Amino acid sequence: MAGFKKSPWIIHYDASSCNGCDIETLACLTPLFDVERLGVVNTGNPKHADIFVVTGAVNEQSKSVIRNLYEQMPEPKVVVAVGACASTGGIFRQCYNICGGVDCVIPVDVYVPGCAARPEAIIDGVVRAVGVLEERHRAMAQIGDRIDQTQYLRAEKSDAPQILALQYVAYQPDAQVYGEANVPPLQQTLEELERDFERMVFVKAEVNGRLIGSARGCANRQAAELSRVMVHPYFQGRGIGHLLLTKIELAFPGVQSLQIVIGNKSEQNLRWLQRQGYQAVQTEPSTPATTTVHLHKECK
Amino acid sequence: MLTLLLLLILVPFAAGACLLGVRSDLLRRILVAAVTLAVCCGTVTLVVLPTGVKLMGPSLHHHWFSLASLAIEIAMALYVLYVGVRARHPLIVALILAQAGLMIWFEFKLGSHLEVAGNLFVDKFAVIMALINGVVGGGICLYALDYMRQYHQGAHPEIADRRPLFFALLFVFMGAMFGLIFANNLTWLMIFWEMTTLCSFVLIGYTQTDEAKRNALRALWMNLAGGLAFAVAIVLFCRHSGSGELQTLIASKPSLALLPAALLCFAGITKSAQLPFSSWLLGAMVAPTPVSALLHSSTMVKAGVYLVLRMAPVIAHTRVGLMVALVGGLTFVIGSFAAITTSEAKRVLAYSTVANLALIVLCGGLGTAEAVWAGVLLIIFHAVAKCLLFLCVGVVEHKLHSRDIEAMSGLIQKMPRVAVMMLIGMAGMFLAPFGMLISKWAVLKAVVDASPTLSVFIVFGSSATLFFWAKWMGKLLEVFQPGEPVKSELALGESIAIYGLAAATFCACLFFPLISSRFVEPYVQGVYGQSASLGQGNLIIMGLMMVIVLLFPISFIHYGRGVKVVEPYMGGANLPSNVGFLGSAGATQSAVTHNYYLRALFNEAWLSRWGVIFCAGLLAAMVVVAWL
Amino acid sequence: MSHWLPLVIYLAIGPIAGGLLAGWDRRISARMQSRRGPPILQPFYDVLKLCQKQNLVVRRGQNFYVLFFLLLVIFTGGLFFAGSDLLLVIFALTLAAVFFVLGAYTASSPYSFIGAERELIQMMAYEPMILLTAIGMYMVTKSFSVHDIAAHGTLLVLALPGIFLGFVYALEIKFRKSPFDLSSSHHAHQELVRGITTEFSGRALAMIEVAHWYENVFLLGWVYLFFAAWPLLGVAASLLVFGFVIFVDNVFARLKWRATIRGAWAVALALGFGNILALSLLHHW
Repeated sequence: MAGFKKSPWIIHYDASSCNGCDIETLACLTPLFDVERLGVVNTGNPKHADIFVVTGAVNEQSKSVIRNLYEQMPEPKVVVAVGACASTGGIFRQCYNICGGVDCVIPVDVYVPGCAARPEAIIDGVVRAVGVLEERHRAMAQIGDRIDQTQYLRAEKSDAPQILALQYVAYQPDAQVYGEANVPPLQQTLEELERDFERMVFVKAEVNGRLIGSARGCANRQAAELSRVMVHPYFQGRGIGHLLLTKIELAFPGVQSLQIVIGNKSEQNLRWLQRQGYQAVQTEPSTPATTTVHLHKECK
Repeated sequence: MLTLLLLLILVPFAAGACLLGVRSDLLRRILVAAVTLAVCCGTVTLVVLPTGVKLMGPSLHHHWFSLASLAIEIAMALYVLYVGVRARHPLIVALILAQAGLMIWFEFKLGSHLEVAGNLFVDKFAVIMALINGVVGGGICLYALDYMRQYHQGAHPEIADRRPLFFALLFVFMGAMFGLIFANNLTWLMIFWEMTTLCSFVLIGYTQTDEAKRNALRALWMNLAGGLAFAVAIVLFCRHSGSGELQTLIASKPSLALLPAALLCFAGITKSAQLPFSSWLLGAMVAPTPVSALLHSSTMVKAGVYLVLRMAPVIAHTRVGLMVALVGGLTFVIGSFAAITTSEAKRVLAYSTVANLALIVLCGGLGTAEAVWAGVLLIIFHAVAKCLLFLCVGVVEHKLHSRDIEAMSGLIQKMPRVAVMMLIGMAGMFLAPFGMLISKWAVLKAVVDASPTLSVFIVFGSSATLFFWAKWMGKLLEVFQPGEPVKSELALGESIAIYGLAAATFCACLFFPLISSRFVEPYVQGVYGQSASLGQGNLIIMGLMMVIVLLFPISFIHYGRGVKVVEPYMGGANLPSNVGFLGSAGATQSAVTHNYYLRALFNEAWLSRWGVIFCAGLLAAMVVVAWL
Repeated sequence: MSHWLPLVIYLAIGPIAGGLLAGWDRRISARMQSRRGPPILQPFYDVLKLCQKQNLVVRRGQNFYVLFFLLLVIFTGGLFFAGSDLLLVIFALTLAAVFFVLGAYTASSPYSFIGAERELIQMMAYEPMILLTAIGMYMVTKSFSVHDIAAHGTLLVLALPGIFLGFVYALEIKFRKSPFDLSSSHHAHQELVRGITTEFSGRALAMIEVAHWYENVFLLGWVYLFFAAWPLLGVAASLLVFGFVIFVDNVFARLKWRATIRGAWAVALALGFGNILALSLLHHW
């Protein structure tokens, strides 16, 4: 479809730059460069935007903002890191408050070099981003068309990298609520995940060979502990989570009860689990920053 | 027929007398429900029975009637005198002395010579008014049962429980209203008129707080001023024509009846709280909500415009008519503007009531067939929708302990049923294709046909109307801070009244062609020999619009499928699960929104001051012009 | 049959014409700022893209209001081009706009909330003038029916010069153009983000866009009505008025809401009501 190619709307965010790249980015809108001839609109609103243009290195303050803005953009979306700082942290890389380039918070698709990046380079980056956007849209549309053909299978160790990538995307909202350091799924490494395969059962939801959801659980005497029932944000709200949960519950036929532990501030998830038949039995502090809720369901 | 009318008048009186002695809640419930049912059945029978204009002769000897009426008059005058003296309110004392003196002199001097062929009469207009009084009023009485219980037990424990008096007065008022509607004998009409004034006075002062007492006295003296005008009108007309009948007055030539008609319009304007008298209605909002709903929006204030519309044929195309129309037009504009500036729900409703009554007065002043037709429609639709709104506000006030519109933010989530009913009521007040809009449309057409320059009032006033209703609707719909839903939103009586009225708001629109062709058009036809209607094609279009609006709730079946819910945009600094943001230096800021009240543009005090001055001038001019 | 032809044409061609007008608008604005500007078809590309984006909402009900906004705007334009009652058309338009505003309120975001309030202020500002326009046309043609007004033999603008000017003024507000783009601006960053449309994305935003196209065509149709006796002049005048609106959009900075209401009402009183007063005085003589 021509739409995506011809109408890339951007939102521009300055993470913590010297303003050099910002000025150059805005210069693209001036009569000399006039990016509107390509259909580019600087929306200033994540809900309308397709392309997230970030300038400057990411510091502790801007981390949550970047995550929030990214979260609020509708799929399909693309991130462009403009300038050396946004790409790698640049000359601020070693600063006490800088955690690096944009890719230390959200996945970046296009890197634009330069200090400051020249308008021509930025325009070039946006044009490349449009390509990524179209490709992503096509992939999503394909999956979306076949969502009813989703297969729910046991996952193998070879799926671990894909599951980890999904986990990283799916738990972003939690990072906003609890802080990134307090969300274990975001801290997990590939090795740890692969080790989990030895003691836990994994299931996955797959369309066209692409993984869009997963859940895991392990038997613990008479009870089974389920965890990390997750679906890619774009495909949430279509019943995939429900089927995943059913699938993982069926993986433990002999147990008397099922348990899930989640954070107490995840209200939507709590409500969802209660609709699935789970009851909150106990609330207790787990780390200084978080409190967990234990949910419980009897098996017939 | 005569029996039915007498029953409708006397049964509520009797019920009122009984209720005064009933202290048990259960017994009161049964009695109120039974009488309400009886009155509703009575009015519906009245609707079904074929009615032309009929004059009913009195079955009793005339002399006894006149003695009885005199006795009631003197009793009421004495009570008012007592109130006036006790409150040290010289104006009230002066007004009641003048009025009572005049009436007593009149009774002794002329009372026996008067020709009154029929004391009661009924026509289509009276039937409509009776239906509103019976059905809407009955609904409010049911609502009041639960409301007053909560009022005394929960919301206002400090106020003395005088419920027997309260319910007795509600029913006495209802009886008086029926009497007012059916009376043809001008003296009777006046007695019932004063009776509603008294009921209103006592009910406004129900809580006995200083504010309530003050406002009640204000309502009393303003209405007494109208009563005095009424008395003068009766004396003048009867001396000139030798007849004491309303129908004769209406049928008289302007040359003979212009001054009485002008004075009656003056009385109507005080009763329906037009400028310069609108302040009593705003003050009356201290009364418990059922009183506001019954007396001060759907029935008693309608008595004022009822009288003005009755006078319409006499004052049409005269200077008096023009003055009345101007008062109506000005009050409409000022009332609508003032409604923008206030955030107190009942005050907004009161201003809107004043404004809508003003439209009816405007119609009466124009006095063409089309205008009267539009005016009667306005009475019907306004009574239903406004009453619904008052009742909903009453419920919300009890549950949320506030009647500030700002406090109703998120009502759709906290009290979904009441919120939806309120939205229906508000849509009924200003949106196509609901009743009020149909009538406003009719008014606009009538005004443009009669005198286009007056339309300037309507166009500005109605745009202000749009603003204050829509922003209130928005306040109900936005959910900034999701809170706990309120448990048990509505008690039985309340839900009967509120759901019933919401259904009536819809039905009044659906059956609008029927109402118009069966009741309003015959009445207008009878008075003017011609009538008006909206035209077939337009009705079909209204129907289509109705279908679209009805489709709207149906679309919610697909509620929220295939969408992803995210937080609102907050400059990227949202705080989790709460509309707030992280401010500078890590401080937590909550986002607060308030409606616009445009107080920099419309100043309530300024508006009402100049409104009072202008309208008082107009009224004075009206009387002078009529004199000449 | 001739009754229905304009209606069918409107329903079919309306969005295309409206989209092209929007494209021209952006192109002409760009040229005024010595830029090249986007292609004429750009609005269509935008809407096409928006239709394929994910639907993000803050409150689940919010998009239904927008759907009904679109439906009612089409209905309004349909009524107009089917030649029905002008007052009814105005009421339908109001209903549509109220749906839009309520949608923004439902979205429960501070930005869309203020956008909605300001949209209401704008409605309050233009409504008197629009109603006076209908009344003025009635006074000349003795009918509220669009069909009859269009069939009236004389050039309405000659009898209603004040009302015509006032109507053009109201159009500035109705088109949401500077200096009256209080509720939501077409141009880059502003203090309200995107005002009333802030929380609408994807298909809902596309619907809003299409509704505006329909609305613009209908409003220009109304401009045509002033010149209906000479059809060619009418079309030229509508396009000229549209050009004028774009010109004003580029020349003026935004006004505050108070100035907006005061200005619009002063114009309605002086030009609109003045015209009506003059007409009725003439009539009496």
